[in-house]
Amino acid sequence: MQRLGIGIAWTALILTILFLLLPIVVVIPVSFTESSVFRFPPEGFSLQWYQRIRNVDGLLSALGLSAQIAALATLISLFLGTLCAIALVRGAVPGAAAITTFMVSPLMLPGLVFGIAMLQALRMVGFSDAWSSLLIAHVVVTLPFVMRTVLGSLSLFDFGMVDAARTLGCSYPAALWRVLVPNILPGFISGALFAFIASFDNYPVSIFLVDVRTKTLPIQLLNYLEISPDPTLAAVSTCLIVLTILVLILCDRMVGLRRMASI
Amino acid sequence: MTTSHLAISGVSKRFGSAVVLDDLSIGVAKGEFVSLLGPSGCGKTTLLRCIAGLLLPDAGSIQVGGAEITRLPAHKRNVGVVFQNYALFPHLTVAENIGFGLRAQGVARAAAAPRVADALALVRMSEHAGKLVTALSGGQQQRVAVARALVVRPSLLLLDEPFSALDRKLRETMQVELKHLLREVGITAIFVTHDQEEALVVSDRIAVMNAGRIEQLADPATLYQRPATLYALDFVGQSTRLSGRVLGREEGLVLVQTALGVVRAAGSFGTGSSVVIATRPEAITLDATPGMNRIEARIREISFLGSRTQLHLDLADEGDRGIAELPRLPEGLVPGALVSLGFAVPDTMLYPAA
Amino acid sequence: MRGSRDPLGLLALPGVAFLGVAFLVPLMLLLWSSIRGVDGFTWLGYWRVLGDEYYRGVILASLHLGLITTLGAFILGYPAAFALARAKGYWQVVLFALIFLPLTVSIIVKSFGWGIVLRRDGILNWLMLNLGLIERPVRMIFTEGALYAGMINVFLPFMVLPVYSVVRMMDARLPDAAATLGASPWFSFTRVTLPLSLPGVVAGASLVFSLSVAAYVTPSLLMGDRYMTMSMVMAKAFLNLRDWQLGAAMAAVMLAVAAIIVVGASLLQRRLGGR
Repeated sequence: MQRLGIGIAWTALILTILFLLLPIVVVIPVSFTESSVFRFPPEGFSLQWYQRIRNVDGLLSALGLSAQIAALATLISLFLGTLCAIALVRGAVPGAAAITTFMVSPLMLPGLVFGIAMLQALRMVGFSDAWSSLLIAHVVVTLPFVMRTVLGSLSLFDFGMVDAARTLGCSYPAALWRVLVPNILPGFISGALFAFIASFDNYPVSIFLVDVRTKTLPIQLLNYLEISPDPTLAAVSTCLIVLTILVLILCDRMVGLRRMASI
Repeated sequence: MTTSHLAISGVSKRFGSAVVLDDLSIGVAKGEFVSLLGPSGCGKTTLLRCIAGLLLPDAGSIQVGGAEITRLPAHKRNVGVVFQNYALFPHLTVAENIGFGLRAQGVARAAAAPRVADALALVRMSEHAGKLVTALSGGQQQRVAVARALVVRPSLLLLDEPFSALDRKLRETMQVELKHLLREVGITAIFVTHDQEEALVVSDRIAVMNAGRIEQLADPATLYQRPATLYALDFVGQSTRLSGRVLGREEGLVLVQTALGVVRAAGSFGTGSSVVIATRPEAITLDATPGMNRIEARIREISFLGSRTQLHLDLADEGDRGIAELPRLPEGLVPGALVSLGFAVPDTMLYPAA
Repeated sequence: MRGSRDPLGLLALPGVAFLGVAFLVPLMLLLWSSIRGVDGFTWLGYWRVLGDEYYRGVILASLHLGLITTLGAFILGYPAAFALARAKGYWQVVLFALIFLPLTVSIIVKSFGWGIVLRRDGILNWLMLNLGLIERPVRMIFTEGALYAGMINVFLPFMVLPVYSVVRMMDARLPDAAATLGASPWFSFTRVTLPLSLPGVVAGASLVFSLSVAAYVTPSLLMGDRYMTMSMVMAKAFLNLRDWQLGAAMAAVMLAVAAIIVVGASLLQRRLGGR
């Protein structure tokens, strides 16, 4: 009986992994096809679609924009979020629990709703710069991720260590740098990773704030898919997948994958 | 010889290339308390899990009350276990924890309730019946764990380091209390522990384990006064040891030349063999009488412990340490002084050198 | 000592203020505009959304989609989480990474890939044809089945990970204890393991449900207008129809649903935890 249960569990796990990886994995061979159709199995082998990436209108600039916004939004969130987390853990803030819930709340609400709300609010004040609007909205999107992980790391941190460092000769800032920072680094890095991905891949919020000239990558990709789908899309997707895997490996080396996602 | 209630014969278990249990055999009589004593890694917990049915031995047989249970799964064995950290169910109350086994075995609620109440009374936890186990102290949790195991009337009770999570004062109280409780119930109990004092307190017999084998199985007094090997000697109680070489025999005793003098002991070793002689601290006296073994040693440190005084001795050049225990603090003794010590021949133990 | 800690509290101000202005204010404005009509305050927006049979159907369709997705994710993800928690050493890291990776891949890429899988000339049809299961390619794109499968595909990790982290923290000795008390493996599972895994299930289910009820990209890509969800109606109202009142009212309904889920889940958790 017990064997049966364990067997079911493992079957479910294998099926889950295969199921999850399926759509991701099929994209890769399709990107190498010779024909301009998404047939599987792909015919021939060609790198033409990778070369086409450069020529597709607006693709590279959308990639640049998404990366830019994601990086900036992540940095701003790290700054605001870490300060806030330190205050909540160490300062005597009234209603700390409520504030924590508030800071994490954007995660719990549909992104689409927030996108629309943002659009309307900005229209009301006559603010129409798409780039800045995107940045502000993306900070809101990324801040909860940073809060959760940094807060988690900080609350596990034993501040007695900072005191110990000070009795051993470090000044307060030096103690924080040498003792606090390395220990909350996992929370930092995983927060930054989640934040970057959330911003880079974001669609529901961005769709309302882009304009004709300022398009983020997901929106551009979707456009492309609807208008003129060809395996260039597969090539771009494959590049993104490889990039993501590299970033994940990097983060695993620095912090440890499981530690990151257990927060 | 009466048939054992628990009979283990030839049990072996290996994990990969490591032999954890090596052809182990032991018999335990009904109502007896036996301790498996040894350091971590000696196999005692593995043996416990084999008896409980949580682990399958590679070879050998385990019988309880004459019935062969070696291949039975744990839930069919009726062997109770008190785990080291109690393994109480955190989502259930005290009463529900205790009643768990009864419900699992299909006992109707009406019939189970009085038994749970009796078990609660037995461990004096009746007023905590409705509490969640996470709200209890360590000692209280231990009592619930014992009640939970006993209420299903197991044929055997296994206890895995049951006192290790308690602080020292509580530990000593609970050891006596638990022994009394289990005696009252009349159950056969096997304790697993690395704490030799604990083993001495609760056991009728102690099995000293080393690397998957039983080095000695004896009652506490015999184990203390006549340890069979150096390992057993070192594991239980303190001792003074000296290495030496056999000179010959005299009047039926072996003569051993040590760095601090010639010592006589009972035994059979050929001339020239390397041996170790040992004696217990309380067997050593400063007023040696004729016929005693005599050595001279320097005092390294004196510890006054109230009811007794310990003299820590520097023995030969190898840095051997010895301990003598005296009932009173003698006058004029200081660290560094050279003293003459005596211990009786019957109190002298003899072992082959390791 | 106390005094030197208080100023630290001010550090929270920039973050809280920013979120207050950039997040809370627009939301309030949105709710405000849902009850503002041309001539003043009006409940017309809500009346249109909740009174119209079509829109009511859309709300129900979204809830239905959320339910199916959550159920599917649970059936597959719950046992998978157990296997993951029991994996040893290196395997656990690898398997965990494989479950985590799809979360980091863009939803556009996944939906695109899913389209490739389901096409007439895609991998699933190719497999079934070659295995002799079917004679002609089956149409799978733009079917409700494909939508459910796609949704489960996207949200499955959100069920697995919370259950996994709860199961991992469970005392491994508890099933042993149950066994020594005479509990059969089934009894031990239903009375010990399952109840203790419930906090993870609640966390995972509420997460998957709230995300899938509000899903936009996946339903639009896999079904388009054939399966309208609340989010699609809302987007259409704002982007295409310029009907702000309708859109805002629908948005308010979505917010209400989200709030109910969050509050419900935390109440459940408290009951499970402090019980």
